[in-house]
Amino acid sequence: MAETHSTQPDHWLALESPGSGSSRGCRIESVGVKLPARRLTTRDLMSRTSHRTRIQLERLTGIHERHVVGPGENSFTLAAGAARDCLAHSQHRAADIQMLISTSITRSTGRYSQSFEPPLSLYVKQAIGATQAANFDLSNACAGMLTGMFVLQDLITRGEINCGMVVSGEYISHLSWNAARQIRSLLSRQLASLTLGDAGAAVIVERAPSGSGIEVIGFTTLAEHSRLCLAFPSTVGPGGQMYTKSRTLQKVAIDDMAPLVAEAIGEAGIDLADIDFMIPHQTSARAIRAGTQEFVRRLGARPKHVVVNLEEYGNTSSTTLFVALHKYLEEQRIHKGDRVMLLALASGIEIGMAIFTIDSQVDRYGHTH
Amino acid sequence: MGTRIEAASALTSHGLRKPTARRLADAAARTCLAHAGKEPGDIDMLINAGIYREDNMGEPALAALIQEDIGANLGQPPVGGRGTFSFDVLNGVCGVITAIQVESSFLNSGVIRLGAIVTSDVGPDHQNPGAALLRPAGGALLLGRDDGLAGFTDFYTETFPEYEGLLRSGLVWRERHGHRVPQQAAGQHDMVIDEQPGYQARLADCAEEAAGRFLRRLGMGVGEIDLLIPAPASPGFVDALTMRLGVPGDRVAYVAEDLDGAYTTGSIAALQAAIRSGRLGEARTALMIAAGAGITVALALYRQTPP
Repeated sequence: MAETHSTQPDHWLALESPGSGSSRGCRIESVGVKLPARRLTTRDLMSRTSHRTRIQLERLTGIHERHVVGPGENSFTLAAGAARDCLAHSQHRAADIQMLISTSITRSTGRYSQSFEPPLSLYVKQAIGATQAANFDLSNACAGMLTGMFVLQDLITRGEINCGMVVSGEYISHLSWNAARQIRSLLSRQLASLTLGDAGAAVIVERAPSGSGIEVIGFTTLAEHSRLCLAFPSTVGPGGQMYTKSRTLQKVAIDDMAPLVAEAIGEAGIDLADIDFMIPHQTSARAIRAGTQEFVRRLGARPKHVVVNLEEYGNTSSTTLFVALHKYLEEQRIHKGDRVMLLALASGIEIGMAIFTIDSQVDRYGHTH
Repeated sequence: MGTRIEAASALTSHGLRKPTARRLADAAARTCLAHAGKEPGDIDMLINAGIYREDNMGEPALAALIQEDIGANLGQPPVGGRGTFSFDVLNGVCGVITAIQVESSFLNSGVIRLGAIVTSDVGPDHQNPGAALLRPAGGALLLGRDDGLAGFTDFYTETFPEYEGLLRSGLVWRERHGHRVPQQAAGQHDMVIDEQPGYQARLADCAEEAAGRFLRRLGMGVGEIDLLIPAPASPGFVDALTMRLGVPGDRVAYVAEDLDGAYTTGSIAALQAAIRSGRLGEARTALMIAAGAGITVALALYRQTPP
């Protein structure tokens, strides 16, 4: 078996700092995205609710529009499209991928609104030609992609594999349509379903020299609050329905996230002010602002930039962090040497984070690509 | 140093008035913790590898609900305290071996000290009467580290996508016909398990092929496997596989009759049988094997001492 490293027995987070204490590091090599061409504005969505709701959703959430699937598109096509885009930005070929993890919550494929077997990862690896890769699906709500990256980096820094891909395709806008049939007021537990948008995202992680790449990655589940956001197959239309106690969820997240972020940045030996770009899970602009203020109050520092892309995409569930990272890379707003923190928040309640420094991957994005 | 199997528990729905997937997994987890003499708060990582549930909940991960049910590190995170990280792995019958690979890696890197894997399935309401019925069952497995044991040293997964269409399952939306009543269901999602003829036979073919490739890669022969631990997820699979591999019955961990046909729990039920019989402790090398949709075959080698 490979060597051991980075034992941290007394953290609340399951935490790993692959850049230290190991002879191998792990880095994000490329990120890919697939967005459906069709767009749906918040104004258009709210004009199609069955009841007159008087909800000013755009003002509340900051979401102007979101991408939604067209005919023939589903979770699989979005995932496969994102995986291809990821390879297009990568120096790896599909045959280099030794493990492929699909983390879609929705898993729609052709006939099935939610497929169970075989795993979606099998279809994705066949579609991109990564036929030698071991594959499996992982489900961890909106934290799925970062969870998959946590698993891969551990296998990579232990020398079990050299290169892996995490992919997710989320055709999740059917929750919006099902909520639109029933929602009556701002107090509805389906309100968060109206914020969702469709997207696919993929990330390739690879072995890197010790001391480079991902500095810290960690996760925990605050399971006392596991029932604050639940999604089930719908009875009002194809797809799902989601019921969220949004205010309680936001309160718990704001209360509990700060000490966990403190653990992660402490492990990295840095301060919150050393984070150039913090990319939080994209729920609502107000919630992100409130969370950031709490970090500042409790940790006494502020990240230089907090990324919010809700206006254009809405909440794309398990793909939000990587859709945002991809956008900032493509627009060349993130530069070589910038330190980025991905911050996952998901039903469970799952809280996870990864801190890493941007390196040469930035050269393969934007107009230089 | 390697990953040690602390305890394995598998159970059927006996004693449970309404056997839901969550309740089966909860019961198995509590039993397993008791066998290992561990507390729920000792669990650092909890992975659920079950597939079929009565409600087909999409989120959160079922593992998070199980973590709450068994009381593993609930409450607010204090600095310097200890938490549990929970999520689901979906890889059909092979899910347990996949989860062992994931937790074994985190155990060996020192990120976690105790990992738990839970499984459960209940019979979905499917439309194909020809498909095998699932026997409601739940399982739990605890994994720790041991400096004096090689433990799980090698893993291997192979897929045979040419047989991908032999077993497919998923939810299909069916519109309700007739007059639509406001506020009432417009239809329902039915779980459809579509099994084609020949699936069961191909499972054994693929498992034999993958096992042969794995052992050749390790430079081992079947004769060096002291104990075969196969997941009995489909009728006749274990007998067909052992015959093809040429492994005599006294070197096979057969599950208790009431757990034969347990789906994702099959691997844990076989491990439980191996532990109870004392044969896992005696075996220098034990080989876990599972085969399911995809067709996917997963293998894991468990050794007492390093090769």
